[in-house]
Amino acid sequence: MTARADDRSPGGPRREGGLNAPDATFTALLEDSAEELYEQAPCGYLSTLMDGTVAKINTTLLDWLGLGRDQVVGRMRFADLLTVGGRLYHETHFAPLLHLNGEISGIALELKAAGGTRLPVLVTSRVKTGAGGEPMLIRTSVFDARDRRAYEAELLRGRRAAEEARRQAEADRERLQEALAVLQQSLLPSALPVVPGLEAASHYHTASPDLLGGDFYDLFPLDGARWAFFLGDVCGKGPQAAAVTSLTRHTLRAAALHDPDPVTVLHTLNTVLNERYTSGGDTRYCTAVFGVLHPRGDTCTVQLASGGHPSTLVQRADGTAEFLTTPGGMLIGVLPDAQFTPTRTVLSRGDTLLLYTDGLTEARIGPNRELYGEEALLAFAATRAPAGPQALVTALTGLLAGFGDGLDDDTALLALGIPSPAPATSEEHG
Amino acid sequence: MDVARRNNIRVTGRADGPVVVLAHGFGCDQNMWRLVVPALANDYRVVLFDYVGSGRSDASAWTEDRYSSLDGYARDVVEVVEELDLRDVTFVGHSVSAMVGVLAAAAVPERFSRLVMVAPSPCYIDEDGYRGGFDAGDIDELLESLESNYLGWSAAMAPVIMGNPDRPELGEELTTSFCATDPDMARVFARTTFLSDSRDDLKSVAVPTLVLECAQDVIAPREVGAYVHAAIPGSRLVTLDATGHCPQLSAPEATAEAILGFVGAAR
Amino acid sequence: MNPLTITTRDAATGPVLEIAGDLDHHTAPGLREAVDTLPLAGGQLLVLDLARLDFCDSSGITVLLAARNVAVGHGARIALAAVPSNTARILGIVGLDRVFTIHPDTATAVLRS
Repeated sequence: MTARADDRSPGGPRREGGLNAPDATFTALLEDSAEELYEQAPCGYLSTLMDGTVAKINTTLLDWLGLGRDQVVGRMRFADLLTVGGRLYHETHFAPLLHLNGEISGIALELKAAGGTRLPVLVTSRVKTGAGGEPMLIRTSVFDARDRRAYEAELLRGRRAAEEARRQAEADRERLQEALAVLQQSLLPSALPVVPGLEAASHYHTASPDLLGGDFYDLFPLDGARWAFFLGDVCGKGPQAAAVTSLTRHTLRAAALHDPDPVTVLHTLNTVLNERYTSGGDTRYCTAVFGVLHPRGDTCTVQLASGGHPSTLVQRADGTAEFLTTPGGMLIGVLPDAQFTPTRTVLSRGDTLLLYTDGLTEARIGPNRELYGEEALLAFAATRAPAGPQALVTALTGLLAGFGDGLDDDTALLALGIPSPAPATSEEHG
Repeated sequence: MDVARRNNIRVTGRADGPVVVLAHGFGCDQNMWRLVVPALANDYRVVLFDYVGSGRSDASAWTEDRYSSLDGYARDVVEVVEELDLRDVTFVGHSVSAMVGVLAAAAVPERFSRLVMVAPSPCYIDEDGYRGGFDAGDIDELLESLESNYLGWSAAMAPVIMGNPDRPELGEELTTSFCATDPDMARVFARTTFLSDSRDDLKSVAVPTLVLECAQDVIAPREVGAYVHAAIPGSRLVTLDATGHCPQLSAPEATAEAILGFVGAAR
Repeated sequence: MNPLTITTRDAATGPVLEIAGDLDHHTAPGLREAVDTLPLAGGQLLVLDLARLDFCDSSGITVLLAARNVAVGHGARIALAAVPSNTARILGIVGLDRVFTIHPDTATAVLRS
């Protein structure tokens, strides 16, 4: 340390490069009396008799309290220095513990200063015992806890806010799920109509209760003799997809009532979606199968067209199964001049027509998470004894459940068929 | 639910002696009686327990519904007494527990023969013509104090009671639950205690009663002791030369003596 | 679940986007944005190289269609290269295999442009 002309160390003789020479100021500090250490400590000190009467108190604490020594020593009890709540806490927790343990530390209390202000403090007390082990007096240290209390208050506030936010989020989530369930219901028919001479069955599996799915289907009368059906899948999920689904259903229904030719209906839908969405820059499309049924007693003709949708399956009464392929059909809504391929078949008694969305065939199964696929579906339909639409849908529902989390997309099923004649009640044939 | 486990029942003293049930008040648990038990154990069968929500009771049995009213605590007492099939019971209740005892004795009078109320108060809040000692704002302050001490005290939640060579009866026992109640349960107990008003129940007392009060008690001031004594005809009032609200801790010998004197005399 | 990585480079014929990972509901917007911000001039060819595409669902299909619209809007063309078999199958079902120009790899796409 080099001395400088303006070195102002008080009481200190100037010295040259002297780290070793003791500074007189430092020495003066060391001669500080124990009394001064006690009185001027950075915390409050207090000694009380076992009944709480203050016997000794340091200046620091008196200054905090704004009281004079004469007012306190021999006249007040420790509990008198506390707020009412603190006094209650002192009686019910602090004092009992101190009696039983001989010490207690880190208790948060508030001192009542003269003038009414409150000082948050942390209190530590220890019982001093006499030579024979009998309790004689209580020595207490009092620490200013204003910052700490502010921090704790902040923590508590934060915790309460977090809990409230969580509660709110839970409530919101429940409300949302309820709303979605209602909306989802409105996008699908609540019940399939009864078609004379036909049996119909459907199933909808939603992969996520938090998101609206894009699958749709419907079955409705065209006139006294014919019925229309469709099943499809709008791309994406959520409210925008739901809006497309809604538009799609209404467009298909309206178009069918106007001209039920399946290819024409899909063209109409294509134009509507293309104009409404894709040409505006919001690419939306769907895939769908649309068809017309004409039941005639023991048979029913089916004319349908597909727009880029997985092939419709037919389960025949003789135990075979086949796909109605529609090569060349394209998804709906993207290209103004999309192509759709028609096909037809005839259903006889015991045959079932099955439409489905790709949630079924794209499900992942097995340890290698392979695709379930169309071939497997065909085999499934063929190996089950043909028992009509409801039985097939029920069996597929079970299959879907078995996929567990390999099924991660919504799936819709629609099955239509002519019931087999009920077995005639028979007498035993010889 | 096993009541003995649920209420952490501990029985000590003379197995064939007359029964004394010690009930703690708000604040801690049966350990409060630690210093008077030895004196009582010589001649009496002493039964200690923790209310559900305090001490080492089974917290899973706690419901806010039941323990928001003194009746819930009274049911604990009745269930303890019935579980052990106790008769001719001297019930010693500290602070609000004294009132719990009044309710329990009214419910099953055939089981209780004497009541000792240690620093009792039937109502803590001042009202027209009645001095309880506090106003509603004071109670809110207590609840705040409880909350900030939960946060500030979590490290000190496990006080160790160590043996004191001069007080061998303290023994050496690690208790991790003394005064360390779940903060929500403590809050409910505090509200139930300090917002209670059992003054009307005092007139149902039909057994010999001892009211023990401290000379200087901020929680149950002298006026309250006088009120309780007057409300129970035939009761005896003893004022201990002690400060604070827990004479069983600050003046255990005098407390034990007063209890023994009363129980012995009433036989 | 693999995140989506898009690597952009330039060929003589125009930008080539190499797409790796999963193209689904979550990652599709990322590709959409990349395509939207691509400087594409009329007459150029945009190649989407799908050699390292692991997964593609309907959101992925949507974004491929959107890319096509962007290209068309700029007066440019689009081609898909090295389409993985699963995606190719889906494109077949929905009829997009006749809508998109598909090449076995980028080199061929550039050569034949």
